[in-house]
Amino acid sequence: MAQKKRAGTLAAFIALLYYEFLWNIRKKKIITIFIIIFAIATVQLAFTPIADAIANPPQALQANSTFVFAGIEALTGIFLFLVGVATTMNTVSGEFESGTIVPLLTKPVSKTLVFAAKIVASVITLLAAYSFLVGYIAIGGTLIYGPQDNLNLVPLGILGLTIGSMVWASVALTLGTLSKNSVLAALGSFGFYIGLLIGGTLIAAQLGASTVLFYAPGMGATGTTAACAGLERGGGQTFSTGTDGLASMLMRWVLNPGQVLNFCGFQFRASGNPTTTLLASDTFANVAFRDLWVSLVYVAGLLLLSWFAFRRSQIVES
Amino acid sequence: MPEDRAIETHDLSKKYGDRLAVDRLNLTVASKQVHGFLGPNGAGKSTTIKMMVGLLRPTTGSLSILGQGVSGDNPRVRRKIGYMPELPRFPKHLSGEELLDVYGRMYGMSKTERQGRITELIKMVGLEGRGKDRIGKYSKGMQQRIGIAQALISDPELVILDEPSIGLDPVGMVEVRNMVKDIVKSGTTVFFSSHLLAEVQQVCDHVTVIHLGVMRYSGTLEDISSKVMARRRIVIELEKPVDGVLAALKTMKFATVEANMNTYTLHLDTREDVRAEVSRAVTSAGGVIVKMQEEGGGLEDAFLSLVGKEGMA
Ligand SMILES: Nc1ncnc2c1ncn2[C@@H]1O[C@H](COP(=O)(O)OP(=O)(O)OP(=O)(O)O)[C@@H](O)[C@H]1O
Ligand SMILES: [Mg+2]
Repeated sequence: MAQKKRAGTLAAFIALLYYEFLWNIRKKKIITIFIIIFAIATVQLAFTPIADAIANPPQALQANSTFVFAGIEALTGIFLFLVGVATTMNTVSGEFESGTIVPLLTKPVSKTLVFAAKIVASVITLLAAYSFLVGYIAIGGTLIYGPQDNLNLVPLGILGLTIGSMVWASVALTLGTLSKNSVLAALGSFGFYIGLLIGGTLIAAQLGASTVLFYAPGMGATGTTAACAGLERGGGQTFSTGTDGLASMLMRWVLNPGQVLNFCGFQFRASGNPTTTLLASDTFANVAFRDLWVSLVYVAGLLLLSWFAFRRSQIVES
Repeated sequence: MPEDRAIETHDLSKKYGDRLAVDRLNLTVASKQVHGFLGPNGAGKSTTIKMMVGLLRPTTGSLSILGQGVSGDNPRVRRKIGYMPELPRFPKHLSGEELLDVYGRMYGMSKTERQGRITELIKMVGLEGRGKDRIGKYSKGMQQRIGIAQALISDPELVILDEPSIGLDPVGMVEVRNMVKDIVKSGTTVFFSSHLLAEVQQVCDHVTVIHLGVMRYSGTLEDISSKVMARRRIVIELEKPVDGVLAALKTMKFATVEANMNTYTLHLDTREDVRAEVSRAVTSAGGVIVKMQEEGGGLEDAFLSLVGKEGMA
């Protein structure tokens, strides 16, 4: 009996996934996301060869074995944001807006199951989108720039991009579930993103890599491989360590786990230059691990909130 | 709860903010029957139905469907129900057949089951040849038809239709009535709402009348005239107005009187036949009756008296 029930639930879940994909494919949502990704990756791939070709005098294209790795690291927050939000902004609210929620929720599927299927479909969509993107860059990069280093880390990059993007996708999903309005969800998410960006930039400018930023979504705190005291002299590499940089952090975790990152704070004095002080320092392994769980906590927390809102909602739409 | 009850509500109420849309409804729908849910616009029909299918939570009271209590999200109950929303809206990028297919999957129907059922239903609702077209390209009436089909996809025990014939042409309305008759023949219970008396009259065994959220009548159609005080009137025309007649008629406890020149209208408050008594009273007051007739008392008048003149179409 219990087994039969479980089989029924699984069948219903698969039916809901099928519904979700059929709907999104027909709405051309998925294809739109793929086309945008394809366009951006193409620009990224073709930029240097074109720049070289039109330079005066034309330059010969240099082999670049880090193109793919750097290409994944270069996918910035706004990109993860746009792809994430596009994927989920109407996942729940669209059903309310079109009224299709009514026939859907009167089928023998629980609200929780409907919600779970929508989340799983979104994750699969993002995973597929980033696999396509990274795969395209990896193949294109190899063809254009010669053999690539660290291609074994590409799957981790895809995972990091997906989870990092899920943070924004969860924001949009939650706002959409609460407002039942896709436009509000998208605008609200954008406001949230911009707010975090401005807030984060202000904090960073005033305090440096404040440890508050370790736990904020978005670009997070900036870490450097140089010593804080020597910051103004340059040198070392800097990294964004927020949820947007998860792909980069995960790949570096494997590549160089023991490398120490320093997080430097500023102190302004009445006269003269601000002094930089060391606020925290951690290995790539620890930074990446923290970044991973911070991302997952945001995703889980937001999804829990929207699941709760969805379950509570009454369907007054007719 | 007895087996033979498909739907039972207990003091079911629903408030939207301050507006009481359904007021302590105690409704019983026997199984394997067609039960009409009749009421004017805004009576609370859709609100009641949405509570039955779990879209809305009752403010107070409870309901049980096919022997199971419906509280909150209850997919087990919904497995046995087919529901057609009022003015249904479906994913417009899917074709009619795809819609039925994906909903059929949600009921756990196998591929062969679905295929057989879809062909049958598309034919039944008169969408042959259009099943592969996108729903977005359907006319209003066609969307209504696919709405009926999707409510029947799983061959449910109980079918709840919220105003199934809205938007249909006269032929379509007749077809829907015939569909409902066919569905109930196979042992299914049909509960459907309407604001059209004529429609309910032609297919229903039982009827519940609701007005302003309050149940005004529930029972068989035959019983209605005996149970409901219809708006019967006696209209008397005299040769010429006579002074004493109005006073004489006003002494009758079972009626209120209106006079207009030599015509007197008695609004009756009784089910008895009082014509003899009335004519005696008129004659002894010196009136000469030219014409006397009773009006009203039909089904229509019974419903009008339940929901008020503005109510029923
Ligand atoms: N979402 C809502 N918010 C507030 N009030 C509502 C809402 N839906 C319905 N009502 C009110 O509840 C009452 C009952 O409405 P309901 O839709 O149940 O009536 P109905 O009998 O189905 O009418 P109709 O024949 O027009 O479909 C009406 O007064 C209506 O204004
Ligand atoms: Mg209604």
